[in-house]
Amino acid sequence: MTYDAALHLLDRQIVDEEGRLLAKVDDVELRVDPDGSIRPSGLLVGMPAVLPRLGRRVGHRLTRLHVELRPAAEDRGRPLVVDIDRIASLTSEVRLSGDGRGSLRRLSADRAAAGDRWRLGELLGTPAAGPGLHRKSVVLDVRISGRPGESGEHRVAALVVGPGRSGALLGYDRTSDLGPALIAAVVRWMHRHARVVELGPEVEIDCAAGRVRIGAGASFLPLRG
Amino acid sequence: MEWEVPWRRTVVAVGLVLASAGTSCSVVDRPDATDWDTRADQALTDASSEVATSRLALDTAARERTWSSYAVVVLAQAEEAMATVEDDLARLQVPTGRSERAEEVLAVLESAASAVSDARASAVEGELDDDATLGALDEVAAELDRATDGG
Amino acid sequence: MKRYFAVLLGVLTAIGGFVDIGDLVTNAQVGARFGWSLVWVVVVGVVGICVFAEMSGRIAAVSHRATFDLVRERLGPRMGFLNLVGSMLVTFLTFIAEIGGVALALQLVSSVHHVLLVPFVAAAVWIVLWRARFSSIENVLGLLGLSLIGFAVALWQLGPDWGDLVAQLSPAEKPGAESWLTYAYFGVALFGAAMTPYEVFFFSSGGVEERWTHKDIGVMRANVFIGFPLGGLLSIAIAGCAAVVFLPQGITVETLGQVGLPVGVALGKIGLAVVVLGFFAATFGAACETGLSVGYSLAQYAGFQWGKYVRVRDAAAFHVVLLVATVLAAGVLLTGVDPIMVTEISVVFSAIALPLTYFPILVVANDPDYVGEHRNGRLANVLGVAYLVIIVLASLAAIPLLVITSMGQG
Repeated sequence: MTYDAALHLLDRQIVDEEGRLLAKVDDVELRVDPDGSIRPSGLLVGMPAVLPRLGRRVGHRLTRLHVELRPAAEDRGRPLVVDIDRIASLTSEVRLSGDGRGSLRRLSADRAAAGDRWRLGELLGTPAAGPGLHRKSVVLDVRISGRPGESGEHRVAALVVGPGRSGALLGYDRTSDLGPALIAAVVRWMHRHARVVELGPEVEIDCAAGRVRIGAGASFLPLRG
Repeated sequence: MEWEVPWRRTVVAVGLVLASAGTSCSVVDRPDATDWDTRADQALTDASSEVATSRLALDTAARERTWSSYAVVVLAQAEEAMATVEDDLARLQVPTGRSERAEEVLAVLESAASAVSDARASAVEGELDDDATLGALDEVAAELDRATDGG
Repeated sequence: MKRYFAVLLGVLTAIGGFVDIGDLVTNAQVGARFGWSLVWVVVVGVVGICVFAEMSGRIAAVSHRATFDLVRERLGPRMGFLNLVGSMLVTFLTFIAEIGGVALALQLVSSVHHVLLVPFVAAAVWIVLWRARFSSIENVLGLLGLSLIGFAVALWQLGPDWGDLVAQLSPAEKPGAESWLTYAYFGVALFGAAMTPYEVFFFSSGGVEERWTHKDIGVMRANVFIGFPLGGLLSIAIAGCAAVVFLPQGITVETLGQVGLPVGVALGKIGLAVVVLGFFAATFGAACETGLSVGYSLAQYAGFQWGKYVRVRDAAAFHVVLLVATVLAAGVLLTGVDPIMVTEISVVFSAIALPLTYFPILVVANDPDYVGEHRNGRLANVLGVAYLVIIVLASLAAIPLLVITSMGQG
């Protein structure tokens, strides 16, 4: 059981037990464990989370503008966060357990600056280089094992890499019989160079420097369908 | 260095917009002869439409098929539109060789405007089947037809 | 029995709710200039809105996601934002046109200038959005909107030469004085009037709010497949009335008063009064729907609480958006801009904005993650892709046609 973080979690509606609409998943926080495995750790919400995703340059400018609108506020640049274990279920919406009022907390300064915390939004679009990959490849999506709200192991199992823009696969990589046939054919042709790379010692992700290196020994899977 | 590209693009875009605005939107519109003919024909067609609308509005009101305020609203709007048609054409710089035709067209448009105004006035007064008003509308409609054919 | 009544009520309100200021004005204009030679566009548009609304209604019933949830989920925040801005501008433009339309309808009864009526109309719309139980208002306005059937009766009473009228159905019967470019321009406008995007935003958001489940898909389909085509017939009747009365006299339609005139000719005061009541109900209902759609779009993109069924203070941001939109719309109309002109622009821009929301809906309607077993069948996908092509072509053609024909004048 796996899900794709950008396709299935990012930008979904967060609701609470009562069905109150709380926010959108503006970004997802990932944590790197000492053993090197990467796990989703929190849902980020608010302008400081969504603005950087509006494009590298525009996003940077808008985020800075957002902070400068109120320079006296110490927490202006940090988003709100819900821990991942608050998620009760993930369907077409992200349902939290319990009452949602007051459930969004400001991300602490330590956590925001920690080197072992990444943002999914930063990882998506990061150039990925390696033998056999198209030279314009970037990280398109992050495949995570398990399912939020369910027991079992939750960690990033694979990266979807290829040329293009994250999100443009539209889910046509997940199942082979997704229609309409014409659109499916066009999307798959546009992403004919995309590959699924399983995470392992051959895959080196450097989020701070903004690059992913994939060694010759990494295991490549074709896109489904 | 990095920010210079968008700046340059903005300057070019603003320049293009200003240039196009400068060429097409001067204070006085000066169409060439064929362009003027098209616009004059359009004005005559629009005027015919307003005159026919006024005729129809008066007629239906006279036969008690609409209530008076409905007819007044339709006629007042026709009057307003008629005035706009006349003004718009009158404001064009007449190209050389068209002054006679311009005089003819503007004269017809003026009588159409006054006929529509009279129609509105009699509707407000409640004189819906005043023969003189209806006759004036019919006459000006025929004049408009002749002027269109004359062009 | 109660269930049948609910279905009947849904169908009837869908008929009345289909026609709004855009349909009224555009159909009358087209009928007066082109007779029935553009009726085929109305048919294409009505089938299109059926395809679009059925897909988004089905998604709303199974996954409880409305249009702009899906737009953001499928296109991401950046493309989604551009999409939101485009669609919201068009919906807002339509909102202005509808409020103006209500004022114009009241002007026909009161002969008070419509600009003076605008603040009162805007206030009434806002009070309905803020306070009223919307489903009952929607039903009342939808049923009153049915009085536009007066146009069909009027067409029958005018006693046209039916053979002649039917012969006009072919595009080859375009009046010789009109160029093919203006014909194409009005074709796009008519298509935009029939397939206004807000109808789908409102329809799917309403479905989410009323907590449709997969059991409601049947009722939803009945509303769409019966209600919208019958609404389309009203559009054709409006065009027919204009074709019979105005086309031979060379009258072009520029005011709402003219739109009703053929009914006066055919049926007299009572018939005209019924139709003017229909103008009022159709535009007022559409004003509420477009106003809500502005709020729905923004709230669904940003993720805050929206809806008419939750308490106002639980959806405070949503109601602030509604209030601001209503005040802005009234402000635009108070500048004295002609609501009919706003309508003409809004229908063309509707056609331009359609692909933005249609494409993500078509993709999601196929995705089992959202709709499970209720995903598009073969027919829905053939129609869906065919309409994707039509919608994109209409959208691409709209701006060049608008410029070349200077909004259909040439």
